[in-house]
Amino acid sequence: MSTDNERSDAVIAGLAEIKPAVVPMLPSSTLRRILDWVMAQPDIRSFPVTREEEAVGIMGGLALTETPAVLIMQDNGVGNFLTALTTFPQAYHLPCFMLIARRGGINEYNSMIHLISERVPAILDAANIRTFHLDAMTPLDQWTRTVVKGYEFARITHRPVAVLVNLMGG
Amino acid sequence: MATLSRAEALKIITEIFPQEPTVVTLGATVRELIATVGKRENDFYVLDSMGLPVAIGLGIALGRPENPEKVVVIEGDGGLLMGLSALPTVGFLKPRNLVILVLDNGTYASTGGQPTAATTTDFAAVAAGCGIRGVTVDDDAGFHAALADAKAMDGPTLVRMMIDQRSIKTPYLLEDPILLSAAFRKLVGRT
Ligand SMILES: Cc1ncc(C[n+]2csc(CCOP(=O)(O)OP(=O)(O)O)c2C)c(N)n1
Ligand SMILES: [Mg+2]
Repeated sequence: MSTDNERSDAVIAGLAEIKPAVVPMLPSSTLRRILDWVMAQPDIRSFPVTREEEAVGIMGGLALTETPAVLIMQDNGVGNFLTALTTFPQAYHLPCFMLIARRGGINEYNSMIHLISERVPAILDAANIRTFHLDAMTPLDQWTRTVVKGYEFARITHRPVAVLVNLMGG
Repeated sequence: MATLSRAEALKIITEIFPQEPTVVTLGATVRELIATVGKRENDFYVLDSMGLPVAIGLGIALGRPENPEKVVVIEGDGGLLMGLSALPTVGFLKPRNLVILVLDNGTYASTGGQPTAATTTDFAAVAAGCGIRGVTVDDDAGFHAALADAKAMDGPTLVRMMIDQRSIKTPYLLEDPILLSAAFRKLVGRT
C-alpha cells in the first residue's frame, strides 16, 4: 500500500501536468503537502476562498475566460456549494474541475465529520455531479493519470467533475 | 433618499459601461435590463444562482488580468448579502479591473418587497473594511459621477446605488443558459 506522501505526490504530478493558471483553495490538513506545492509554483495564482460556493462562482468566471483552473477543497464543504454548482457551471455547461479530499473514514480523528463526509459520494451522485474516486486501494500508478484525465473530462463534457481523493489511507 | 428606479439606474450603467463585460444578477434585474436597453452582447445573465455574481465577476476579472477593460457586476442588495463573503476575497486579490454595482432598494423586490438587512448595513463601509474602494450614491448626478470614477480609476470598486422600489412588468426570460455562456465566452474567452 502507498504512503500518504506518495499519494499526495502523485496528485502533485497530476497538477503539474494540468498546469492550472489559477487555483482557488479551501485548505485541509490532509491537503497540506499538495497546497504547499501549489503555493510554491510561480506560474500558479493560488489564493484562499472564504466559502466553497464562492469558489464555484470564481471557477465559472474563469471557465468563461477559458483559463485553466483547479478548485482544491475538502469534502465536508460539498454541502456549501451544491446550489451554486448545479445552477451555475452545471446549468451553463462550464467545466469546473474539483480536487476534493475525503474525510471521515479510516484514520479520521474528528468525531462528527463522517456524518457529512461519508455521504458525499451519494450526495454528489444525487446532484448528478460526475465523480472519480482514489483511495488507498487504488494502485499508486493510477493516481496521476486519474487526476489529469478527470480534468480533461470536465473540459470535454463541459461540466463540473470531481476527483475525490482519500489521502488519509482509507 | 433614493429618487431613481432600477430601470433608470440600469440605463445610466449601460451609458457609462456600454461594452464592458457585465455580469447581471437574477431574473428580475435581467428582464428589466432587457426591457430598458435591450439585449447587449456584453451582458452575462445569471438567471438564478443568487449571491454568485460577485464571485463570477471576480473569476472573469482574474481570467483577463492583462486587460484594462473593467468587468462590471450588477448585483442586488439581497444578492450581495447572500454572497457577502466574496468581498474579502475581492479585497485580498485586488483585481484592478473589477467594478461591483449594487442596486440597493432595501428589499427583496422580486419576491414581494420583503425587507433586507441592507437597510441597516453600510455596504460601502463593508467594502472599505475588505480593502475595496466603496462609495454610496443616491441621485442622478451621484450615479453618473461614481460610475465615471469607477470606470476611470483602478479597482476594485463597489458603488452602492440607492434606488427606490419601482419595477416594471416584464415577460419571463426562458433562454437556455448553455447559449448564454457560449455567446459570452466569445467575448471574454481566449480563443
Ligand atoms: C437560493 C435562493 N433563495 C431564494 C431565491 C428567491 N429570490 C429570487 S429573487 C430574490 C430577491 C433578490 O433580492 P435583491 O438581490 O435585493 O434584488 P431585487 O429583487 O430587490 O431587485 C429572492 C430571494 C433565490 N432565487 N435563490
Ligand atoms: Mg433588493
